[in-house]
Parts: sequence; structure tokens; C-alpha cells
Amino acid sequence: MILVFLTEVVVFALVVAGILAERSPALLAMGAALVAAGSLVRFVTPLRVALAAAFAAHRTAALAGGALLALALPLALRSSPYWTFVATLALLYVTIGQGLNLQIGAAGVTNLAGAAFAGLGGYSVGLLTVTAGWPAWLAVLVAPWVAVAVGAILFVPILKTRGHYLALVTIAFVFIFNILMNNLEFTGGPQGIKNIPTLRLFGWAFTAKPSIAGVELPAHANFYYAALLAAGLTTWALRRLHDSWLGLALNTLRDDEIAARCCGVSITRGKLLAFSIGNLWVGLGGALYAVMVGFVSPPDFDFGYSLVMLSVVIIGGVDSIPGVVLGACLLLPLPERFRFLHEYRLLLYGVVIVVMLLYRPQGLWPAAVRRYR
Amino acid sequence: MPPLELLLQQAWNGVMLGVMYALIAVGFTLFFGVLDVIHFSHGDIFMLGAFAGLSTLLGLAAIGLRAPLLALPLAFVAAVLVTGLVGVVAERVCVKPLARSSPLMTLLATLSLGLVIREGVLIFYPRGADPKPFPQLLPQGGFEVGGLAIRYENLAILGIGLLAMVAVDRIINRTRMGAAIRAVAQDPEAAQMMGVNLDRTVDATFFLGSGLAAVAGILSGLYYSEIHFIMGITAGVIGFSAAAIGGLGNVYGAMLGGLLFGVLQTTAAALIPRGSEFRDVVAFAVVMLFLIVKPSGILGEKSAERV
Amino acid sequence: MSAPILEVRGLTVRFGGLVALDGVDVTVGAGETVGVIGPNGSGKTTFFNALSGLYAPAAGEIVFRGRQIVGLEAHAIARLGLARTFQSSRLCLGLSVFDNILIGMHAQRRTGLADAVFRRGRFLGEMREALGRAAHLLALFNRDLPGRGFERVGQLPQIDRRRVEICRALAAGPALLLLDEPSAGMSPDETAELMRDLQIVREERPGLSMIVIEHDMFVIEGVSHRVVAFNYGRKIAEGPFTAVAADDEVREAYLGTERAGA
Repeated sequence: MILVFLTEVVVFALVVAGILAERSPALLAMGAALVAAGSLVRFVTPLRVALAAAFAAHRTAALAGGALLALALPLALRSSPYWTFVATLALLYVTIGQGLNLQIGAAGVTNLAGAAFAGLGGYSVGLLTVTAGWPAWLAVLVAPWVAVAVGAILFVPILKTRGHYLALVTIAFVFIFNILMNNLEFTGGPQGIKNIPTLRLFGWAFTAKPSIAGVELPAHANFYYAALLAAGLTTWALRRLHDSWLGLALNTLRDDEIAARCCGVSITRGKLLAFSIGNLWVGLGGALYAVMVGFVSPPDFDFGYSLVMLSVVIIGGVDSIPGVVLGACLLLPLPERFRFLHEYRLLLYGVVIVVMLLYRPQGLWPAAVRRYR
Repeated sequence: MPPLELLLQQAWNGVMLGVMYALIAVGFTLFFGVLDVIHFSHGDIFMLGAFAGLSTLLGLAAIGLRAPLLALPLAFVAAVLVTGLVGVVAERVCVKPLARSSPLMTLLATLSLGLVIREGVLIFYPRGADPKPFPQLLPQGGFEVGGLAIRYENLAILGIGLLAMVAVDRIINRTRMGAAIRAVAQDPEAAQMMGVNLDRTVDATFFLGSGLAAVAGILSGLYYSEIHFIMGITAGVIGFSAAAIGGLGNVYGAMLGGLLFGVLQTTAAALIPRGSEFRDVVAFAVVMLFLIVKPSGILGEKSAERV
Repeated sequence: MSAPILEVRGLTVRFGGLVALDGVDVTVGAGETVGVIGPNGSGKTTFFNALSGLYAPAAGEIVFRGRQIVGLEAHAIARLGLARTFQSSRLCLGLSVFDNILIGMHAQRRTGLADAVFRRGRFLGEMREALGRAAHLLALFNRDLPGRGFERVGQLPQIDRRRVEICRALAAGPALLLLDEPSAGMSPDETAELMRDLQIVREERPGLSMIVIEHDMFVIEGVSHRVVAFNYGRKIAEGPFTAVAADDEVREAYLGTERAGA
């Protein structure tokens, strides 16, 4: 158990130090330390075996330790509101990625409209608060259901088309969504919706700086904890759905629709459930994003973000719940870390994804076999 | 209801756009034919073609060669060569190695490759973020037939586009390589047993398809008098839509689909209020409906589910 | 013969202009095994696909356990107690052996989504029981298989994959089992093992009715109570194996296309 905690603390320390290292020498040293630690685990077999065994034996402890460190992260990052924001963004992508993974990974419903569904969540929050005057917390709770409801437009194509054609239908949907948002008056056109009120729970405004044990944190820490809650909830729920009759049925219909039908699986029910549950979480991610940044506009939800969401799912490992967490926590912060390469950032991002797909197509943390325990 | 002339005018403009879409769509459909993949970076290859053409024209102008009849063909040749080679490299690097894995992988890989090409142009082309003016090399002016304004420029674009399509038809139906492409599209294994060199055929297909995108890219530059590094995103989605409407794998279907999409866009612009803003909403909605009703496309063979 | 579990009357399936099945009548009694023979393309698999709801018949009726099932969706028919295997196995190779069998029990699940998420104990209890049943089924055929239950099916040899597919079908607790050429692609030794496996199925589920499509006449002779022969989508003979095998039209059908198997 001590080994488990020790490993987690070391990883945490390396990550925090890696994030905060400002000057190149420090950053290089951090990079070297990460590579060294990584190769130590990768190539020293006894260590790897011992670690794997320790984590397998103390799963609960490992999770608890991880949760504790996730809670402590804003403390470690308190000097940098920017990095607290990036960490929050990564957590929102965990929520979104888990939802999308149920559709794409578990059920094989190629949804490239992730950005549009996140946008539906975000815009709904904007309209409900700014136009209709609802309190932000209520809007955040209702907005994901708007994403689910509007997603019903795509039910027929989802049932009728598959593979590349379904991909095309969902791409068309993102484009339609974007053009509409850009040109409709009630969504604010290209300017979008500004001045979305911040979350306020039990009198606590999320713009106030929280302090834990006398240490003052940046205001973004509020959203960090909200996003952590959402990400944790989503991951927990989808982990359980993955190891359930639904997860099994979805995997079967993804791999072989005919076999699934002949085993009594209703393709209609399965795909609709996966799609709707998925959109709920994608919409929640978008809704939280809207209250966090305080405005929504068309470019925040364009096709490019669908690509980022898709890469979170695939790079993490198709249908892998921990993979999504890992994917989001790597793909979102990494380009920010390499800001000094600012103009080459997206270029490198594309190259990294292509290389990953060529050399590790199963993802960083491939889906494990269901064990039902 | 707008007057008939306006509709006709818009349909004519649609044919113009449609020719470019068709050229892009042919690439999508050819690639799908030989490898059963959707090559999503194709839109960005189209964009690259436009930039390659522009660079050639600027280069020629710099050495004093400005006569359109000489400069333009040279630009086409150079752009076709550049994009053709980039297309082959793209295929070798990230399409073919992944062709046997799940479509999701090629999807993400080619989307990412498109991002790389796009960012590459943005970063390495001088002032790549700005829209670039494209020289007007086609004869200006025009005439009117029954209320329909026809510009010489448009006639030339149409002519070049049709020429390219006829060329594709000839290559596919009259040459050995075309026969090989058709054979591989039908059954790669059987084709190999008949002595077709699979790798070379796939390379040739990607060269041909990407080259056509370059032709479309230059035409687009001539039509809009401007090119921009992000032009490939929408063009790619439209080209894919056109290929899907026509029936993936069918070259004539792709041509037809491209023309249909162009006409659909422009007539929608004429028919609905604020049409120029919402025309793509209509066009994409029609594509979605179309795929639901006839998922195999207009000319696609009905692929019966094998049990 | 006891009351029939399946009565097929005048079943006709068309693909465009092609008549794949033409007015076929077949009856299967409870606990009976019917063998289906016929040259390639004679409509045997089409017959199965129509029974399991994958193809919509152009005419005719299918009464299964007293219920007209024409027009029902495949998954609804499966839930009524009709299970099948496929000629080229349709397992999910990336999923575990257990998962491939558990999906067969999917229709009889007692816990829903809310149980899976919130009432974990209840759900896990059901899964433990289901895994136990899957292990029991696997052990019938090969005592080593339950130990490999959490491996991916793709790692098993061909014969074991076929067994997993049979287990998946049995896991549904069907009243009628359709086996589409179980010996396809197997060596003579493996075919002999398969014969033994089918015997085990018979002993394990005495009341189960089966329809078996086979090219291997030894398998057909060994397992079926009655044989139906198809040619060009029509039923050309029916009766005990020896009678059907001796039938002139049947011999003609086989000799016309391939060597006579019997």
C-alpha cells in the first residue's frame, strides 16, 4: 500500500513540477526526470511487476490516494490561475470524453458532432441565464437535457447509417450547428452570448477566491472542484455502465450487429441509449464550460473541437474508461505546456496523434476485459 | 418566389461551384474505391493545391512570365505534381498502414494529417494566416443569354473542370493503370492474383485523386480571386458529401454529386430568406436526409447485408 | 411426434427477382433434431435467416411455439427462445470468452441500468451467477475452457470458438437451436469432436429442438432424427436419413453440383 501511495505522490510531484517549471533548464530537468521514471518502470521488469501487483491489490487505496491528490492539485498550482484553468479544462474534457466514449468506443456510433453537443449545453446555459434569467446552477442542470433532446434529431440517421456515412451525417450536424449559431439572432450571431452569470451555490459565488486551511486559491479553483465533481461522477457512472449488461450489449452490437440481434439485443434501444446518455455528459461538459468562461460563441464549438474530443477517446484507448481520463489529462495540458512553441503547437499535436495511431493504435490505456467485480 | 431568371442564374453559378466540388469528390471516391477508407485530409490537399498553384504563378511572374496561356498551364502542372506527391506520401504514411484497422483510426489519422497540412501552410507560407489574393488570369467580361449573365471566366472554369473530368474518365477506362485501379476497387486480392501491383496502383490512385484536388484548388482561386489556408475544411466536407450522395466508389456518382451539391447550395441561397447565410444549412440538411433515405448513394450499388 | 415447436408453411424469400426460398414447409417437433442438406446456394442459410428474422419473407408463415413470428424483429424472435450459430462464426473476437456467452443471457437479465449503477450488490450477484452458468456450459465441452474465460475469444483455436458460439446460443436457454454448418472448416478429427459435442448438447438439454445445416453426411446421419433436402430454394425430399440420401432427386442435386456426400 505504501508503494502505491509513494508512486502516486512521485507522479503527482513530477506532474506539478513539470507544469510549474518556468525556465528551460528546469523544464528540461523535469522532462528528463519524467522520461527516467517512465523508462525505469517500463524496462525494469521487477519494479513494473511489483507496481502492477501493488495497484491491483490495493485498488481502493489507489483510487482514494488519487482522489486526494486531485483535490490537492489547486493547492499545488495556486501560484498559477492559468494552470488551474487548464486543469479544469482537462477535467471538463474527461466528462465530455466519457460521454463520447460511450457512443464511439462502446457502441461504435461514430459521433463527430461532440463539439455541437457541448455547444448545445453551453448555449442553453447562455440562453437560460442571460435571456430567461434563470440561476446558473439550474441552467447547468437543465442544459445537458437540451443536448439530449436536440440529439433526437439524429436518431434516425444513427439507426439508418453506419461507419463513414454516419461520420458524415454528424460532421454535417456540426457544420449546421455552427452556421446557425453564427447567423441566428437569438444566439447572438458571431459574438455569441456574453456575460453569463457565474455559478452561485448556497450564497457562494464562484468568482470569489476560496481558501483552504488558510491558503488562498485562485477563483478558478471553484470551477476546478466543480469540474472534478462532474468528471468523477461521470467516470464513476460510466465505469459502472461499462461493466454492465448495457456495456456488454453495446460492445456486441458494435462488433457484430447481426450476432447481437440474434442474441436478443435491440439495436435501436442500444444505440439510442448510448447516444442519449453520451450526449447528456457531453452537454454537461459544455454547460460547465459556459459558466466557467462566462460567454459562448460559435468558434468555441466548431468542428476542430470535435477532433480534439475524438482524439481524447482514441488516444486514451477506445472504450477504455481510465483511458479517457488519461487521454484528457494529457492532450489538453500538453499543448499548453509547449506554448513556447506556440505556432507549432497544433502542427505537433497532429503529428503526435498520427504517430500514436501508427505505433500504438490500441491507445495509451487499452480497455481491459470486463470482470464484473 | 424569386423570378425564374434569378433561379437560372443561381443554378448556373451552382454548376460552377459543382465542377470544383466534383473534382474533389472524385478523389474521395477513388480513394474509397481502392482502400475502403475516407481520406479526410483531402480537403486540405485541395487547399495545398491552390497554394502550390499560387506560388507557381507568383514565381513565374517574378521571372517575367505573366501570359495566362503559358503561366496557367504551368501552374496546373506544378500544382498537380506537388499535391499528387503529397497525396502519395499521405497515403504511404498514414492511410495505407491503417487501412486494415477500424475506420475510426483512419478517420482520426487523416483528420489529424489534415490539421498538419493546414498548420504547415499557416506557418510556413509567408503571412499564411491572411487570405491570399489570387491573380485574375482568365478573360474578363461576358455576354447574356435570355437574361442569364455568363462570364467568360466562368466558361473557362467550366471548360477546364470538364476537361479534367474527361481526362479522369479516359485514364480510368482507357489506360492500363486505370484498368488496375478498377480491378483493385472491385477485389484487391483477385487483382493481385491477376498480376496487378497493388502498391503501385494505390499510389497512382492517390496521385490522380490528389492531382484533381489541385485542379479544383486553382479553379477555386480563379473563381473567388482569393485563397485561404482554412478553405480546405468546408471544401473537404462538401467533397465527401458529394461523393457520398453519388455513391462512394463510383466516379460518375461523385461528379454528379458534386454538381448537385453546387446547384443545391446556390438555389437554396436564392430561395430562402437570408439564403446566402443559411444555404449550407439547407445543403447539409439535404445531405443528411439523403443519406437516411438512400444510404448507398445515387449510383452506389446496393450493398446487401451478408449473413 | 409431440406437438410441433416450429411450423413453417409456404415460406418464400425473394431478393429482387431471385427466388431464394420457394414455398418451403418444414415442421420441427419438441426435442427433435432436423438435418438440412442441399448443395451450395440451395437456400439453407436463407431458411435460417428467415427463421431468425434477418430476412423478411415475401410469403408464408412461421409459427414458433404457437406464435406467428413473421414480421417480428430478430431480437424479438431471439427472446422468444430461438437461438442460432452462424456458418462463419460471428463471435466478438475482441471480447472475452465469458462476455461472448453472457450476451446470450442478455435477454433474461433481471437487473437494469439503475441496478448496475446504484445497486451494485444486486447486479454483481446476478453476474456471479451468470458467470457460473457460462463456466458450466464451457466445461461441458472442454474442461480447460472455463479457466480461459477472461481471455479474448480471438486467442482460442477454431474448434473452441465454435464451442463458445454453441455455448452462447445455449446460454439463452432456447427452445429451438439452429446450427448453421457447425463442421465448416474443420478437420476430420475436429468434426469427430464436434459430433461428441452435439451429443453433449442433446444430453444437457433433452427437450431442446434443433435444426442442423450440414454438408458432412456423417454428422447429419449421426445427429438428426429426420432430414430435409433443399435444392434451388425448394424442399425436394424429407424423411429419415437413409431414405433422403437414397432419393433420386437428392442424388441428382448433389451430383449435379458436387460429389455425393453419402
